Amino acid sequence: MFTPGSVRNSEPSPYTPPTGPSGSPTHPGAKATKRVRVFRWQGIIPLVLAGALTFAGWTLFGGRILRTTLSEAGTDAMGAQFDIAEARVAIMATTVELRGITLADPFDPNRNLFEIARLRLELEPRPLLEKKIVVRRLGITDVRTSTRRETPAQPSTGGGFAPRALAEVRRFAGQFNVPLLSLTPFDTFRAIALDPSQLHAVQATVALGHSADSVKSAIEAAYASLRLQETLDSSAALATRLQGTNVRTLGLDGARRAVTDLRTASARIDSAKRRVDALVADARRGIDTLQAGVGAIDAARREDYAFARGLLKLPTFDAPDIGAALFGKVTIDRFQQAVYWATLAREHAPPGLLPRESVGPQRRRRSGTTLHFARQESHPRFLLRRADVNVSIGGGGGAAAGEYAIAASDITTEPAIVGRPTLFAARRVGGGDVDSVRITGSIDHVSANAREVVNVNASGVRLPPLALPVLPYTMDPGRGTSELRFMLDGDRLAGRWSVRSGDLTWSTDSARARAMNSIETLVARALTGIRELDLVADVSGTIAAPRLAVRSNLDRQIAARLRAVIGEEVTAMQTKVRAEVDRVVEERSAPVRARIVELRAESDRRIADARSRLDAEKARLEERLRALSGGVSIPGIGGGTETLTRGAPS
Amino acid sequence: MLLLIKLLRSLVKTLHSDGTPAQIAFGIALGAALGLTPIMNAHNLVVLLLLAILNVSFAAGLFAWALFVPVGFLLDPLFDRLGHWLLVGQPALQPLWTAWDNVPGLALTNFTNTVVLGSVAGWLLLFVPIYIAARYGVVRYRATIGERVRHSRYYKTLQASKLYNVYTWFRP
Repeated sequence: MFTPGSVRNSEPSPYTPPTGPSGSPTHPGAKATKRVRVFRWQGIIPLVLAGALTFAGWTLFGGRILRTTLSEAGTDAMGAQFDIAEARVAIMATTVELRGITLADPFDPNRNLFEIARLRLELEPRPLLEKKIVVRRLGITDVRTSTRRETPAQPSTGGGFAPRALAEVRRFAGQFNVPLLSLTPFDTFRAIALDPSQLHAVQATVALGHSADSVKSAIEAAYASLRLQETLDSSAALATRLQGTNVRTLGLDGARRAVTDLRTASARIDSAKRRVDALVADARRGIDTLQAGVGAIDAARREDYAFARGLLKLPTFDAPDIGAALFGKVTIDRFQQAVYWATLAREHAPPGLLPRESVGPQRRRRSGTTLHFARQESHPRFLLRRADVNVSIGGGGGAAAGEYAIAASDITTEPAIVGRPTLFAARRVGGGDVDSVRITGSIDHVSANAREVVNVNASGVRLPPLALPVLPYTMDPGRGTSELRFMLDGDRLAGRWSVRSGDLTWSTDSARARAMNSIETLVARALTGIRELDLVADVSGTIAAPRLAVRSNLDRQIAARLRAVIGEEVTAMQTKVRAEVDRVVEERSAPVRARIVELRAESDRRIADARSRLDAEKARLEERLRALSGGVSIPGIGGGTETLTRGAPS
Repeated sequence: MLLLIKLLRSLVKTLHSDGTPAQIAFGIALGAALGLTPIMNAHNLVVLLLLAILNVSFAAGLFAWALFVPVGFLLDPLFDRLGHWLLVGQPALQPLWTAWDNVPGLALTNFTNTVVLGSVAGWLLLFVPIYIAARYGVVRYRATIGERVRHSRYYKTLQASKLYNVYTWFRP
C-alpha cells in the first residue's frame, strides 16, 4: 500500500523540518508549487484482492455463518431452540437449502415441534437488495413432528419478544381459577380455625380502615384550611367597631368607608361559604369511596366462603366446578398454545404501515434500534406467496401420525402491503389410524383489528388417555371425534374444545395406585361404569380476563353421586363455614363501618355548623349596613335598603 | 504487541514522512469513520475505498481507526439518541428514510439503525473539526519536536529494534 511520503527502511527520509511558518514540509529539490495528485488508482489493487479474499471466505464459510445466524434468529423469534445442521447458499441462483432443521417445543424441552430433513427456498433476487425475502418457491421434504429430543432444549435466553410472549401466555393460563375436586371424607364436628389475615374480606377491611383514616385526615385538613374562625373574628370585630354608629355620627366620608369595609367583610364570608361548598363535595366523594369499600368487603366475603370451604376440603356439587377440576388443565393447555402462536403472529406481522422497531444486529458495539419503513408499493420484509407441502408425521406424533397435505398463502411480515390475510389449511391424505383430520385457519392483520382463527376437526381419531386428577384412574376415550375452534379477535377470546367418544374405558393408574376412601370408592364405582365421554370446554372473555366453562357427562354423574351420598352433611358444613366466616369478618369490619358512619356524621355536623355561623355573620353584617344608613340614601353607595350581596367594590 | 508497535511505527513514520499535513489530516478524518461507526457496514467500504484511491495517508487512516474505536464505544449512547432523533423525531425526514429503506442496494447500508445513522452523522459533523485539529497537530509537531524525536535514542531504537525487523519480514 502506498503511503504518501513513506520510504523504505534502508533509505533516509526526505523529511526535513519546515522552514516556513506554515509548517509545510520542504525538501531539497521539491518545488513549492508542486501539485499533489488527488487520486492514486493503484490503490484499487489491494481492495480488489481484499474483495477476492472476502468472496473466497464467503464461499468457504458463508454457509456456516448463515446457519449460525439463522439458528440464533430463529431461536429468538420462536422462543424455543431452533437448530440447523447445514446451510447451503447459491448466490447466483438465489436459493438457500437448509438441512436438519429442528424446532423445540416451547412448552416441552424434551420434544421437538418438528424436524425437517430438507428445506429449499427459491428467492426473488430484487427484494434481496432491499434486505427483503420474497420466497418464490418452497420445497420441504421429510417432515416429522412431535419427536423426542436426544438432549433437552435450552431455554431461550434472548431478551426478545418470544420469552416475553411465553411469560405472558403463562400468566394468561394462570388467570384461570381451576377448582380442586375434593373427595376426602370430612368431620362434621371439626372446628373451623380461620386465620383472619388469610381472609380477603379482612384484608379489605384493614385497607378500608387505613383509607378511612386518610379521608378523615384530609377532611380535617381541608376544614382547618377554611380559616373560618379568622374570617368570623374579623367580621365580628368590624361589626363591633360599627356598633351604634350611623351616617350622622360618621359623616359622609366615614360612612362610605364603613360601607366599603362591610362589603369587603361580606365578600370574605361569601368566599368562605364557597370554600365550604367545595369541602362538602370533596368530603362526600371521599366518604362515598369508603362506602364502596364496604361493598367490596361483602364481595370479598363470598370468595372467603369458597376459601374456607377449601380448608375443610368440602366436595362441591356444582357440575361446572367438577368439570373444570377434571378437564380444566388439559383445556387450558390446548388454548394457551393457540394464544401463544397468535401472540407471536401479532408481533411478527403487526397491522399497519407505521415504522416498526426491532433490536439492531448483535455486535460488540451497542446494537441500537433498527427501524423498518414500509410503503404500500414496496415488498414486505418477508413474503411466502404460497406453499404446498406434504408432511409425514411418524408414529412419534401419536394420534396425529399420518400423511398430510399442507397449504399456506401470503405468509408475510407486512400484511398491510400484501392486503390479504394469511390462510392455511391442512388435511390428512393417508396413513395413520385416523379417519379424517382437517385444519383451517387465517391470520388477518390487514386492518387495525387483528384476528386469528383456527379450526381443527378430527374424526375417528384415537384420543389421548387422560389421568383423572383426584382418583388413581386413567380414562382412555378410545377412538372418537375432537374439535377445536379458536378465535382471537382483537383482545376478545372465543374458543371451544369438544371431545366425543363412545368407547370410553377405565384403567387403574399403577403409578398412583393407593387405597381409596369411602367417597372416592363410591365416585370411582360410578365413573368406571360410564362408557361414553361428551366433553365441551369453552373459553371466553379477554386475554386479560379469560373465562373457562367445562361441562361433561362425567361431572354431572359425579355431582349426582356426591349429592346423593353426602349432600346433607356437606350442606350443613357449608352453613357452618359461612357462619364462621361471617363472624370473623363482622368482628373486624364492624368497627370500620362504625367509623365510616361516624365520619359522615361528623363531617355533616361540621359543615352544617360552618354554614350556620357564616350565614349568621352575614346577616349581622347586613343588619349593620342597614343600621349605618339609618334609612338615608348615601350618595355613591346606594340606599339603606341595599344588601351586601353585591360584594366589595373592586 | 506487534499491532501496537506497528501503529506506533506507522504514526511516527507518517509524521516524519513527506506527506503534507493536509494529506495526513484528511487520512485521519476519513479513518475516524472506521472507529466511530460500527465497522461491518457498507459505508465503511466506501471509506476504505476513499482511503485507498485518494492521495491521502492510508497509515494515518489506520491509525485514526485504532484511535477512534474507544471513542466510538464511549459515544455509542449519544449516537443511539442522535440516530433515534433523526429516524423517529423528525417527521419531515421520514419520507427520505422510507424511500431509502426501499431502494435496492441502499437498504443494505443499515442507515435505518439508530447507532449506524447516529454515528455516521456524528462522524460527518466531526469530520471538519478532526481534519483541522489533525492538521494543526501535524504542523505543530513538525515545527516543534519532530526533528528532536527523529534524532532521539528511542526513535532510533524503535527503528533498529529486532522485534520491529521481525515484524517487517511479515509486513504485507
